[in-house]
Amino acid sequence: MPENLPSHPLLHFCRRRYRSERQKDEGLHLDIRFEGASVSYGARQALAPLTLQLSENRIGIIGLNGSGKTTFARLINGLAKPTAGRVLVNGRDTTGERGALSDVGFIFQQPQNQIILPIVKDDIAFGLKSRSVAKGEIEAKVEAVLTRFGAAHLAPRRAHELSGGELQIAALAAVLVTGPDILILDEPTNQLDLKNRALVQRLIEGLPENAIVITHDLELIADFDRVLVFHEGALAADAPAAEAIARYREIAR
Amino acid sequence: MSTRDLVLSALFAAIIVALGILPPITLGFIPVPITAQSMGVMMAGVVLGARRGSIAVLIVWVLVAIGLPVLSGGRGGLAAFAAPTTGFLIGWLFAAFTTGYLSERLVKAEQSGLVQTVGFFLSAMIGGIVVLYAFGIIYLAIAGGVSLEQAFVGSMAFVPGDVAKAFVAALVGRAVMVGYPLLPVRA
Amino acid sequence: MQSLYVEGESFMHRLPARAKLAVLAILGVILFTTRDIALLSLAVLATAAIYFRLGIPLAQAFDRLKPVLLTIAIVALFSLAFNPWHGAVVALLRLTSLMFFAAAVTATTTVAEFIDEITLLARPLERIGLVQANDVGLAVGLVVRFVPEILGRYQAIKEAHAARGIKVRPVTLLAPLIILTLRDADNIAAAIDARGIRRHVS
Repeated sequence: MPENLPSHPLLHFCRRRYRSERQKDEGLHLDIRFEGASVSYGARQALAPLTLQLSENRIGIIGLNGSGKTTFARLINGLAKPTAGRVLVNGRDTTGERGALSDVGFIFQQPQNQIILPIVKDDIAFGLKSRSVAKGEIEAKVEAVLTRFGAAHLAPRRAHELSGGELQIAALAAVLVTGPDILILDEPTNQLDLKNRALVQRLIEGLPENAIVITHDLELIADFDRVLVFHEGALAADAPAAEAIARYREIAR
Repeated sequence: MSTRDLVLSALFAAIIVALGILPPITLGFIPVPITAQSMGVMMAGVVLGARRGSIAVLIVWVLVAIGLPVLSGGRGGLAAFAAPTTGFLIGWLFAAFTTGYLSERLVKAEQSGLVQTVGFFLSAMIGGIVVLYAFGIIYLAIAGGVSLEQAFVGSMAFVPGDVAKAFVAALVGRAVMVGYPLLPVRA
Repeated sequence: MQSLYVEGESFMHRLPARAKLAVLAILGVILFTTRDIALLSLAVLATAAIYFRLGIPLAQAFDRLKPVLLTIAIVALFSLAFNPWHGAVVALLRLTSLMFFAAAVTATTTVAEFIDEITLLARPLERIGLVQANDVGLAVGLVVRFVPEILGRYQAIKEAHAARGIKVRPVTLLAPLIILTLRDADNIAAAIDARGIRRHVS
């Protein structure tokens, strides 16, 4: 599939099917291991001990509120630390010195709390500034990442004037500009209206990066390779999307 | 400093700025404009405690110094530090710190609502009036070419307004403690 | 938020921020250690000349100084009424001169330049573990970013109260305003940490 086609929503769908080929070319493979990792807050166990390996390009995570799915996701980027066992990302322990931060991007559900500087391009640039990237390079990278999402027009805009969808796209740009190869999205469309939901869904489909998506919006993960279902702090199902969703519906009844 | 503390302080600095933008209450004809903004300084202490309350004020100072019009009435820039009333601006840091310091020690979760409110009120008064005015009056005397007595008398007109503000700050402190307690508890 | 910087090509504009701040500090010391009216008058004339020749339209230039000038004038008048004239005039001249130069520095230095300067000054403190230098720019950015949200929230709370027939009082407005604003802190902090923006923090 030619790489130099102009950006168009329909093309995102076509891109997805060729992603696995590109993945093999670019060596973007996922290697996340949970080794008996569990999280407890005092007497309450948020996540029962889990041992598994994640290597699929698209992984969905579903479950009722409080089921442990967010805790699971936060273990991967180190926002949460395991109280027992360990989590390895690309061979590195998430609690180690370097942690997993540089490899794992995280998108949160509230659009407005992720863009933290008044103007979009300054916010995206800040992530690079704090990694001591050269000034000239920063501008180029910011423009490049926004253009990737067809959002170059958002660069000079003020964050508080943007819609939820625009803010999520800006957040995606801000997170991906530092080049993580894994992206975790924690209910990214939860606070968006239908139009913005569809927009963000298309963007996620088109991402070459490995994506782990936590969501209540089952449409978002409907054709994912692998979906994990969490319930009451433990893994209730681990299967391709259709099967996992069916199991989830059983639980939710 | 944890990221959370930095964000809490910055958000409160933003609240102090917002209070300067909302319509002011101007009393008196003597040089110190009175607005809800100075109440924001007391509230920083009762809600966030000494350390974060002080950092919030520090951030406001930086905003003023770098040329942003964040002081009530759209004032800002280095010239704001060249007024005879600058002592009151400088005093904000020590007011927030004192109010926070006293709140952390006087107010406890087990106390009744009334006792907590009184504790916050005392903290706000001592920090927001006694300490603040000490800085304001001394600087006014040094830089304004007036005697300490004159500076003192001249500033007294604003005390009633500030007592009212301390009262509101105390009520707010209590309400926030019930809804979203953030005050570090120290012996 | 519009800063107080004014675009221009004056001599002051071309000076580095550090030099201007150093001169301001030295000026402050000189002004407050002399009581010589002739010298102080000279200082006022010199600093006023600098300020009014920056290229700011006259009306605007005066407008910016009004609040401080008013305060200085009122205190000077008060002092004149009750004290020997010398002290009042010294104070008037000192503060006015300082005001002119301070306003000139503010008008000719961008926010970014100031932040860079403060960040540089904060770097040595990093070693003591007191602050992180980049936090200055981050804190300033956070405030400017969220002030509009807070103002919007204030309006929303006011309207909600009105709709429910609740009388609008300071406490009933401020408490929810503060709670709702500070509740966001955890999410904002998580987003900052997830992006690795404050890398040196554990």
